[in-house]
Amino acid sequence: MSDRMVRIVQILSDSFFPLLEAGIKFTVPLTILSFIIGVAIAFTVAIVRVLEIKPFEGIARLYVWIVRGTPLLVQLFIIFYGLPSIGVTLDALVSAVIGFSLSVGAYSSEIIRAAILSVPKGQWEAARALGMSKAQTLKHVVLPQAIKVAIPPLSNSFISLVKDTSLAAAITVSEMFQVAQQITARTYEPLWLYTEAAAIYLVFCSGLTVLQSRLEERFGRHLAR
Amino acid sequence: MIRLENVYKNFGDLEVLKDINLTVEKGETVCIIGPSGSGKSTLLRSLNHLETITSGRIFIDNELLFDRKGDKDVFRPTQNRIAEVCSEMGMVFQQFNLFPHMTVLENIMLAPRVVKKEPSEHVREYAMHLLEKVGLGDKWGAYPSKLSGGQQQRVAIARALATKPEIMLFDEPTSALDPELVSEVLEVMGSLAKEGMTMLVVTHEMGFAKEVANRVIFMDNGEIIEENTPENLFGKPEKDRTRAFLSKIL
Repeated sequence: MSDRMVRIVQILSDSFFPLLEAGIKFTVPLTILSFIIGVAIAFTVAIVRVLEIKPFEGIARLYVWIVRGTPLLVQLFIIFYGLPSIGVTLDALVSAVIGFSLSVGAYSSEIIRAAILSVPKGQWEAARALGMSKAQTLKHVVLPQAIKVAIPPLSNSFISLVKDTSLAAAITVSEMFQVAQQITARTYEPLWLYTEAAAIYLVFCSGLTVLQSRLEERFGRHLAR
Repeated sequence: MIRLENVYKNFGDLEVLKDINLTVEKGETVCIIGPSGSGKSTLLRSLNHLETITSGRIFIDNELLFDRKGDKDVFRPTQNRIAEVCSEMGMVFQQFNLFPHMTVLENIMLAPRVVKKEPSEHVREYAMHLLEKVGLGDKWGAYPSKLSGGQQQRVAIARALATKPEIMLFDEPTSALDPELVSEVLEVMGSLAKEGMTMLVVTHEMGFAKEVANRVIFMDNGEIIEENTPENLFGKPEKDRTRAFLSKIL
């Protein structure tokens, strides 16, 4: 084995655990926390829009319009580097969670709204004829059916988010990609290090794909037609 | 039990109901027949507020439920009161509209538990009783997708009965069924009528109308053209439009 090969193998094995550690300490919690908050926002926004709850509906549309129409990286910069000039100084990790949650909330609200609208009108009518309120109908009849429709596209958002968390490197969060950059700066082996980081992202996302098919099976069990 | 006075309904420029006046007494079974697009279903759906009438008055059990003029409320009870009155009317749809993510038993138990807040044990017992009544006692654990159309519609009838309604509305309950499954649904409806349930039935089943109805109403183009006992309406219809319609389908 040539000296160069030995060196690369050495660097890759030395950097594996720091990268994995950054992934487990930052990438994974950042993804999970942002997704949970984002989906909660998404459900609220979708329900406000479907039920046309008056003053909030306009706010919800404005929110979706702005967040979807501007780049996520720019949003992160505004939150982390911009807000301090009006006296709001946030920790880098907190800024990242806010930015990612707002982004997931906006995109996923459209997924959930479409899923709710995919439930046939007859289901609403049957519930209404039974004397159920709109809130009761949503809870017991419509949402359980909508969730089944929403799981594949929501899983897609989740997997996208795993990769989008690498943008947090730009606002000083030492997640996996930033650690890869740091090691590269020392070793000058960008090809190998970034490929190694990419491989770890790939493993994370593959795990999530398995989780997705489990969830689909669970929620779709009774709805096979 | 049900009274409509000068009811009009427009969809944009289209007049779907024109000056409908109709009374259904307690324990009566009234069938509404007529060509498609004649406003039969809209009439039925106006009663439990699935459609909002443009003008006119609707009374349920002598209580004024809707009073509208020029698409505006003259009088309107609280939303809760509307829901309460509507839950005293059971409705059966052409497309069944069972909840696909729930078992047969869960479908029937949902409204009594959620709307009427009755205790689960009691609700379950009554739901099983209703399932026996529609001849599906052994299907309580099945999901709707595993049932035939006729079975689904009988479950839908049991579900509508679960809140102990005083009025049952049927919106073409057999129109989506394979011909050999129609009779099992009509039998259940016939026995309900015999027990004294107040029933308003939109149907194309002339045999059922003849046998079970106390009165038959013929609608065409949004109007009630003729209203009579089944013997008279089918035997010697008075209006030309009734005769023309009957000659086409009988």
